[in-house]
Amino acid sequence: MASYLVRRLVLGLLTLVVITCVVYGLARNMPGTPLTVQLGETDPSRKFNPEDLERMKRIYGLDKPWPVGYAQWIGNVVQGDLGRSISRKQPVTTLIAERIGPTFLISGTALLLAWLTAIPLGLYASARSNRLDERISSLLLYVLYSFPTFVAALFLQIVFAVWLRGSGWELPLFGMTDLPPDAPLTARIADIARHMILPVTCQTYVGLAYDSRFIKANMEEAVRQDYIRTARAKGAGPWRVLFRHAFRNTLIPLVTLLGLSLPGLIGGSVIIEQIFTWPGMGRLFFESIRERDYPTIMGLTLMFSSLTLAGQLLADLLYCLVDPRVSVE
Amino acid sequence: MTQRDDMRPAPTGFWADAWSRFRRKPLAMAALLFLVGLMLVAILAPLIAGTRPVLCRYKGRIYAPCLAYFSRSLEPSIFAKDRFRGTYPTNLREKDPDSWAIWPLVFQDPYRAVRADEWPGRPENPARDEGRPSRLNLFGTDQAGVDVFAKMVHGTTIALLVGFVSMGIAGTIGLIVGALGGYFGGWVDMLTSRITEIVMCIPTLVLILAMISLLEKPTIWHTMAIIGMTGWTGIARLTRGEFLRLKNSEFVMAARAAGAGPVRIMLRHILPNALAPVLVPITFGIASAILTESSLSFLGFGPPPPTASWGSILNDARGNLSMWWLVVFPGVAIFLTVLSYNLIGEGLQEATDPRLREARK
Repeated sequence: MASYLVRRLVLGLLTLVVITCVVYGLARNMPGTPLTVQLGETDPSRKFNPEDLERMKRIYGLDKPWPVGYAQWIGNVVQGDLGRSISRKQPVTTLIAERIGPTFLISGTALLLAWLTAIPLGLYASARSNRLDERISSLLLYVLYSFPTFVAALFLQIVFAVWLRGSGWELPLFGMTDLPPDAPLTARIADIARHMILPVTCQTYVGLAYDSRFIKANMEEAVRQDYIRTARAKGAGPWRVLFRHAFRNTLIPLVTLLGLSLPGLIGGSVIIEQIFTWPGMGRLFFESIRERDYPTIMGLTLMFSSLTLAGQLLADLLYCLVDPRVSVE
Repeated sequence: MTQRDDMRPAPTGFWADAWSRFRRKPLAMAALLFLVGLMLVAILAPLIAGTRPVLCRYKGRIYAPCLAYFSRSLEPSIFAKDRFRGTYPTNLREKDPDSWAIWPLVFQDPYRAVRADEWPGRPENPARDEGRPSRLNLFGTDQAGVDVFAKMVHGTTIALLVGFVSMGIAGTIGLIVGALGGYFGGWVDMLTSRITEIVMCIPTLVLILAMISLLEKPTIWHTMAIIGMTGWTGIARLTRGEFLRLKNSEFVMAARAAGAGPVRIMLRHILPNALAPVLVPITFGIASAILTESSLSFLGFGPPPPTASWGSILNDARGNLSMWWLVVFPGVAIFLTVLSYNLIGEGLQEATDPRLREARK
């Protein structure tokens, strides 16, 4: 067990080094630098003159070739320093800490809602397998699964923010809150909750459609096993067979799915956060690419990929934990 | 003549068998029909919507100016010489009274707004909030007054090409990487599996956005290539598994005993047997490639303006949400196309996977 863990961790670290190196190389080779992209586009008169630009480049270490820059970056990371954002003049860790909460608020709520609806739906689908009502509901879920999030987000915005404007059903279009930070806490919570409804809906339905199909597929696999026939033969009722015998055995793949959804939980969704201008991680990433803000791009990449790797490792470990037949060796 | 002594039906091939099972799925067949229809729309786009005649007779010769929509170089040079400037109806009549022309079904252009009296007696295209769907503009017009129906008809080519080209690239990379790793094993497998894992761990959108940002002027072809270069990992994993499973089977050993080299064994013996399971993720991959392209266009990372892509019409709607027609029509088109590929993928899976067939009984 210990040697397996060590091997996985070493491999994971190597993978991380390669990934960050590739992304750093890509980022540094994008046309423009953080010093030229933003200022030059908005206002030509505010462009740096050449000497200033050279001086700034030296300060941020952009005058050296990118492999040297990468070596410096990774040296700092080993010492726990992710650097300072160039365009926002703040430490990258502070930026991430600011954005992680809002993202988690959306993705955590969405994940919870998706699971809470997907499990009953999946069970219902396998209980009523191949009946008319099951076929219709499965088809609807399938349709939902193919529905692009950004189209759904725009539809919801049109309906709730444009057509229902002025009515009691109107929901805010953008952002996280309209109230100043000194407003009373309950009012702020209510306001943030109102802002959350549309993005959470968008993120929930995708997860819901996927998870319920996943549960149903696993249930169908489980229902064919011999122990189900045994349970039926000894006289267990259909619901008891479904819950006690079949569903409990599908928990194993569910656990892996949970592990794999870890990166999305904290990484957020670029598209949803971008449409609803939600101040989360996905949006931060999108902005940092546009601003060529190398330290932020790298900090986020490092976080996303370590989370993906950690999620995979977690899924594998949990699998061994819940299924005694599987061992890591 | 020999007589069959048992009543078994004549043996059919695997693919014929799969097709006969696929054909019995009404949803998958409907999806297939829809895609065939889309392909027709893509091929016949200049006949459906355009401002250039499909066929016309001008100064004694017959031309097909509508071909210019496929490539500007196909526009007959005589019209440039006679200063038509893309406006055919009035020019044809003025410069050659004996001319005639067959027009597309809808007189609208995907790249510019139709001007007043360009077609005798017709008003100019409305723009902004005024451009709601009407008899002249079936799906309305966008911010600049360009007809949305024409844009969508001409954008069909891109939507279909994105799927085929990017998954063609992804499928090729995935098959090669997976086949090498699965067949040779050892350090080759070690290397290919590591590479696959690394590409898998970089968030796709990060990789795509970073790669697109590298290019000064990304075209739709760059986007397709990049989607293809990032989307092969699932296919590679599956192919590797299939090759691992099949490389020790009897027919491969027989081929090896007969003296076949590794390339021949991989291509002629294993690949045809591994193709069916790999085809399923490729079909689902086409769906997600279309989604990726349209979300990139939607985020403003799409092809430059003159190229009409469904996602870029949606992007136009973000500026003014009261123009609901800019969301509904392209949104539904993207959704239906993605749904069709997913339904076909699922039909394919059920038709080719014997395990699922058992389950249905």
